[in-house]
Amino acid sequence: MMKSMRTVMRKGGNRRQQGNKMIMRRWDTMDMKMQNNTMISIDGAGVSFGSGEKEVIALQDIRLDIYNNEIISLLGPSGCGKSTLLRVISDLLQPTTGAVSVQDEEPRIARIKRKFGIVFQSPTLLEWRNVRENVELPLELIGIEKKKRMALSRDLLEMVGLTKFADHYPWQLSGGMQQRVAIARALSFDPPILLMDEPFSSLDEFTKEKLQLEVIRIQKQTKKTIIFVTHSMPEAVFLSNRIVVLSPHPGKIKAVLEIGLPAERHPALRETPGFYEYINKVRNCFHDEVGELYDEVV
Amino acid sequence: MTKWYNRNSAIYSSMLWVVSLVAIWEAVAMLIQDIWHLKSAPMKLPYLHKIILTMVQNSATIFGEGIATFGNAFLGFIIGSLIGLLLAVLISISKPMENALFPYLISSQMIPIVGLAPIIFGIMHNPELSRIIMSAYVTFFPVTINTHRGLKSVKPEQLELFSSYAAKPWEIYLKLKLWTAVPSFFTGLKLAAPLAITAAIVVELMGAPNGIGVLMVSSLYYGNAQAYMFWSTVLTSVFIGFAFYLILNLTERLIAPWQPEFHQNRR
Repeated sequence: MMKSMRTVMRKGGNRRQQGNKMIMRRWDTMDMKMQNNTMISIDGAGVSFGSGEKEVIALQDIRLDIYNNEIISLLGPSGCGKSTLLRVISDLLQPTTGAVSVQDEEPRIARIKRKFGIVFQSPTLLEWRNVRENVELPLELIGIEKKKRMALSRDLLEMVGLTKFADHYPWQLSGGMQQRVAIARALSFDPPILLMDEPFSSLDEFTKEKLQLEVIRIQKQTKKTIIFVTHSMPEAVFLSNRIVVLSPHPGKIKAVLEIGLPAERHPALRETPGFYEYINKVRNCFHDEVGELYDEVV
Repeated sequence: MTKWYNRNSAIYSSMLWVVSLVAIWEAVAMLIQDIWHLKSAPMKLPYLHKIILTMVQNSATIFGEGIATFGNAFLGFIIGSLIGLLLAVLISISKPMENALFPYLISSQMIPIVGLAPIIFGIMHNPELSRIIMSAYVTFFPVTINTHRGLKSVKPEQLELFSSYAAKPWEIYLKLKLWTAVPSFFTGLKLAAPLAITAAIVVELMGAPNGIGVLMVSSLYYGNAQAYMFWSTVLTSVFIGFAFYLILNLTERLIAPWQPEFHQNRR
């Protein structure tokens, strides 16, 4: 069934290129109904700062369903509200309008039940704790006893390949290694949802590609729902099952693209025509905007 | 290899510093005392070696009086830093608390110590207690101000992380804010240490029966005859101040070794 849907999706994509965006929207909703495993449901969420003439609309009327066990990317230029959307989902920010539900609960309840593991652009490790103690921080707060904490952190450090560095301090690690620690820490308390806010954008290209593969491997291993914020088109295409393209001023969803690439994301995939095809599709979403601008000028 | 070289060169340069300072001191002392024969020359700048000689000869007296002064100053310093830490936490807990307490904190520092010391001494009638109170009094303010700034320097993302762990407010203090504030707490302590010593000595100038300050005033009273004794007391205070600073620095290295300035050469 998935296969036939993808064919239809591709048709939809073609039609969208002709300028019909509504078809994409409709297929999303049908998708959800058919799969019936929605993890997060965003219903008309909007965020604005200030009021009156100074009001800045960061997000406007976001409608989106995020499914269990998928990697979904929020992609867009800076100022499109992708990080804001992440914060709305995880109850770090209250939406001005609309509602969000996480496994049929308010985000606040979900946060208190510790359903979100968060990885920021900066590793945000506690400098006074070594690697192991950093990974164990959430477990400490939950009140898990020391023996169990040690066992859990050992497994997690093995998963991110840092077993040898358990006793090192953050300042002794490279940026990429610090980010691995941050990922292990976010997974330590086994939350169903992993939120990653441009986690690799300050790393070099080599480290970045390596860690992208790690994310895919970890997702396979742990079956997390991953929401991945990025401004890199290749990164979004390589990682995601779906990409939510956002446009700025005000931040709103421009398109939701299903990435029909093979489930097994191998590094060689980056060189296939299919990969480029999807990158172009994403890029076209933004070219529409350039076109509109052009129309205005003419 | 390079690290050892660096460490050695640091030792050499500081030794050079000390040696040249001593040389200049002795040369100037010789100039005003034995070449120009200025009036009351030992009081202006006595020979360094004679001061040290006096210190050694009177080590028992200086030690005895020094213990009284610096012991009390140290105790007052400890009490003052604890009060300072407590106030910083209280202020950081809520904005109304900050608004209520801050004016008092600021105005407390407007009273000159020279004016306050006799008042405290007059009320207490106890030199030990007065020294402790005055030392604590001058210590708490720099500690509060610096620690408060440290508590506020927590990054918003760190708070968001703790929020995602559903951490309770006291857990955020215990596992995040207080740790973040450790380096600035030490900045406050280092600022307060010399103040605490000075405050204890100022109390003694107001008529205490013992202490290094008493020794200082009485030797000053006898003029040139006691010039070397006077300078000995001054130098003792300087040494104690240095030792105090050094101890604080070492403690900081032990408690907060993660700070960038402690491991610049690595990575």
